[in-house]
Amino acid sequence: MPSSRRSIRPLPELLVNQIAAGEVVDRPASVVKELVENALDAGATRVTVRLEQGGIELVEVSDNGAGIAAEELPLALMPHATSKIAAAEDLDRIGTLGFRGEALASIGSVARVTIRSRTEAQHEAAEIACDGGETSVPRPASGPVGTTARVRNLFFNTPARRKFLRTVPTEQARCVDAARDLALAHPAVAFVVSTDGRTALDLPPGQTPRERALAALGTELADQVIEVSADEFDDARGATLWGLAGLPAIARATNQAQHVFLNGRPIRDKTVQHAIKEAYRGLIEPGRHPTCVLMIEMSPAAVDVNVHPAKVEVRFRDPSLVHTLVLRALRRALQSADLTPTIATARPTMLGPREIGPAATLADRLRHGPWPDSGAPIDYAATREALASAENGPVDGGRGSASGWPDAASIAEPKPQTPLPAPIPASRVLQVHNSYLVTQDAEGVVIVDQHALHERVMFEQLVARVSREPLERQRLLTPSVVPATPAQIARLPELAPLLSRIGVEAEAIGPEAIGVHAFPSFLFERGVDPVDLMSDLLERSNDFAPDSEEALRDVLDMMACKAAVKAGDRMSEGELAELLTLRDEVERSSNCPHGRPTSVRLTIRELERLFKRS
Amino acid sequence: MKVICDRAALLAAVNMASGVVATRTPRPQLTCIKLTARKSGKSADLTLTATDGEAALRLTVAQVDVQEPGEAVIPADKLRQIVSAEEGDPTLTIETEDDACHIRGQDARFKVFGFKPSEFPSIPDFEKIFAGKDGGKTAIFTHTSDGLSTMIGRTLFATARENSRYAVNGALLKREGKKLEMVATDGRRLALARQTLAQSDKDAAPITCIVPARTLGLMQRLMDEPEVPVRVAVTDSQILVAVGTPEDGGIRAALSSNLVEGAFPPYEEVIPRDQDKKVVFDRDVLSSAVRRAALLTNEESRGVRMKFKGSERQLELSSRAPEMGEAEVNVELSSYEGADLEIGFNPTFIVDALKVVSDPNVVMELKAHNKPGVVKSGNDFVYVVMPVNLQ
Ligand SMILES: Nc1ncnc2c1ncn2[C@@H]1O[C@H](COP(=O)(O)OP(=O)(O)O)[C@@H](O)[C@H]1O
Ligand SMILES: [Mg+2]
Repeated sequence: MPSSRRSIRPLPELLVNQIAAGEVVDRPASVVKELVENALDAGATRVTVRLEQGGIELVEVSDNGAGIAAEELPLALMPHATSKIAAAEDLDRIGTLGFRGEALASIGSVARVTIRSRTEAQHEAAEIACDGGETSVPRPASGPVGTTARVRNLFFNTPARRKFLRTVPTEQARCVDAARDLALAHPAVAFVVSTDGRTALDLPPGQTPRERALAALGTELADQVIEVSADEFDDARGATLWGLAGLPAIARATNQAQHVFLNGRPIRDKTVQHAIKEAYRGLIEPGRHPTCVLMIEMSPAAVDVNVHPAKVEVRFRDPSLVHTLVLRALRRALQSADLTPTIATARPTMLGPREIGPAATLADRLRHGPWPDSGAPIDYAATREALASAENGPVDGGRGSASGWPDAASIAEPKPQTPLPAPIPASRVLQVHNSYLVTQDAEGVVIVDQHALHERVMFEQLVARVSREPLERQRLLTPSVVPATPAQIARLPELAPLLSRIGVEAEAIGPEAIGVHAFPSFLFERGVDPVDLMSDLLERSNDFAPDSEEALRDVLDMMACKAAVKAGDRMSEGELAELLTLRDEVERSSNCPHGRPTSVRLTIRELERLFKRS
Repeated sequence: MKVICDRAALLAAVNMASGVVATRTPRPQLTCIKLTARKSGKSADLTLTATDGEAALRLTVAQVDVQEPGEAVIPADKLRQIVSAEEGDPTLTIETEDDACHIRGQDARFKVFGFKPSEFPSIPDFEKIFAGKDGGKTAIFTHTSDGLSTMIGRTLFATARENSRYAVNGALLKREGKKLEMVATDGRRLALARQTLAQSDKDAAPITCIVPARTLGLMQRLMDEPEVPVRVAVTDSQILVAVGTPEDGGIRAALSSNLVEGAFPPYEEVIPRDQDKKVVFDRDVLSSAVRRAALLTNEESRGVRMKFKGSERQLELSSRAPEMGEAEVNVELSSYEGADLEIGFNPTFIVDALKVVSDPNVVMELKAHNKPGVVKSGNDFVYVVMPVNLQ
């Protein structure tokens, strides 16, 4: 079809910039992010963000930073013009948030931009405008030292893009989130954000990271978070971390409330997300996501930030180092905390099982996640210096695995520091409705969900046992026949190593069934039906990598659940005593592997309040 | 109704009947025992009836003096508590007044509220069924109390604890001509008991049914006098058992129960025929050795390792529980045929079988570490047990 043939030609510069803008700027929040980053890079101690109509009408960011010299203003708006790096080597050690020299040019091509700026050296400010790519000449203006960038009518000349914007409240929320994220990472800088004239954020300068986190995310989080930090082991390996981990009770439906920063830059990173998930495994229900603020610091040379136009993705030179750093720190913190939720007596459903706790109300109230109440702030400058000297050559910490991520077992797990109160003799334990055990500890009344606790205990025992050797298998007289799909049957060879670890021997018998020839002895003892377990396992196997540690834990979790005492099972005094003793022995027993709490506590204080004694 | 009963005889009957009352039910009558006092000429008796809907039990106590025939329905637990607590009294007097029941001892009087006898559920008419007059195609056979009880004892322990998709909480009962078989399996071991009936008419209908484990337990308790003939009737959906015949004073105890529905696993295929290693044991020596070797096992590491050393005529039994310790026991073998073998078994499974054999010599046949073991005592008892893998 010769008529449809078009000749190749270079794109006009404006179009090039507009295409590039699509990568850097996709919504008002990206404008906020880029402009605030520029302000922070300029050394500002105060950043003011003004939004109108969710940022679609106006995003204005003013700072008191170094400013741009009048003669450099046109350059600031030129693509690939930057003051932050000069040569390729600089890419290996990026210490600023920006470095691509792309943001202002991109924004200028899709909006009406004015930049007014004044350096210390100038006695008056200068202003330049860029209207859909048309840059004016700088003209004198009046204004303080620092920069004000004003972006109006975003996407006015690219209607297709504009159509993709969401409602004003949604875009506005994203803009505020973007500013808040950067504010979290820069606690020394004052931030004021207003939306259509109303103040959305007002954060004073000179805060510690903890103060900043609480101020930005909500002071009510103070007792819903625990502090997390790296230790000498991490320092030796050239990475450090500080953060706040939300209690399991305030886990969320999405991972939006995980605020992860690398060297002051908000990032989204699979390695870190995986480590967080792993650390909370068993403490929260599957499908829920932990909340946290994590600030990771490492040598800029150890990480490539130049992989994503918006710079939210990074590439770690050694992902296992980061994984270990995050996993260990979170685990340590979670294990040393007493995670037994306190019953929120203010709620009328006080003794309603399984939804006890302040979680629901708090989580709903919080737009953002959790934070802290004590601990030393990190000194970023000092840390960076320390890291810079440790930069040359890998430091052998002696504990990380040689390749890939370390598995859970190879990470030293410190025991909880605060010993649990002494166990109560079983004669003082009450089994209620054959489902709950009521006992006491130093702080008050403890109510235990017998199934959840037993499941937790069995799970930990199974994990320990399987890490030593496969479970003992009892052979069957005739294979138990498990109905299966052809796809599940096809996966059987892949599952074989996992099955052999858990003491199951199975093979395909016919196109739609699997025969179980051997099954763990102890599951038989506990009355678990092989068909039952295998059907569940096959179903679940669609979602996991059969050779992963995660899959193993998943399956052990399933086994524990099926083998544990059920609600409604009457327990003898001996069994009660044994279970409660194990409760004290098994780590993290305050949550069953499914993440439901195994026990809740009604403190003496709460009791006094209920009986109006205080 | 007014009746004076021998307390001990009544207590035995009440205890037994209490095993067939329902515990949680919306029909309170199912938690009761029905008392029926009869008198005809010189003979008098008191019958206790209980049912939980699944099974029904009828017991007759002859050690009574019936002053006024009649019926009463009273809660089983109260009746049992009272009869058992009145230890000092050789006799108790039971008398009804409307729906209430007065129980009197020498120095005590109890009034227990019950239910109208007409509201008590009906139970099978045992006399009619065992006389072959119920019209259905009922198969009946007679065996000794002792014989049936032994067969139950040799299989009941191997039934699965609960019905599940892979196992049956009951035993297969099979009769063909004079041959009687009972089979039970929990999927990991299988116990088969055989006996020959003394009498049997040639064209008696064959029987194949699955009897619930609980019913087997009740049957065993009914058969306390060894030589008494016991009659068993099987209908489409029920098994009925009667102790005592019309010739010697009628049915003294009777039990009926629903059968387990479904098919029993094809057990004949499971019994191996090509075992090439054969050991003869003294039952008690093996039992003691296994028990001792099992002292160092736990829930997750159940297995006891059996190492047969043919040339030395030695069996070494050992166990190991990771955080507990190890055990080793040695047994002299009087005979061993075949190659050396190491195989693991759940010790409970071995001991269970040794408990029910009467012959002091047992034969064990083996093939390979992942193939079943067979324990035999004569031709009456065959036991197939699957091994556990050894680490
Ligand atoms: N708020 C500001 N204060 C001082 N200089 C700024 C500010 N914003 C932008 N600049 C200057 O403009 C240049 C281009 O900015 P930008 O397009 O965001 O690229 P980058 O930040 O990647 O260098 C920066 O390198 C910096 O020199
Ligand atoms: Mg920039």
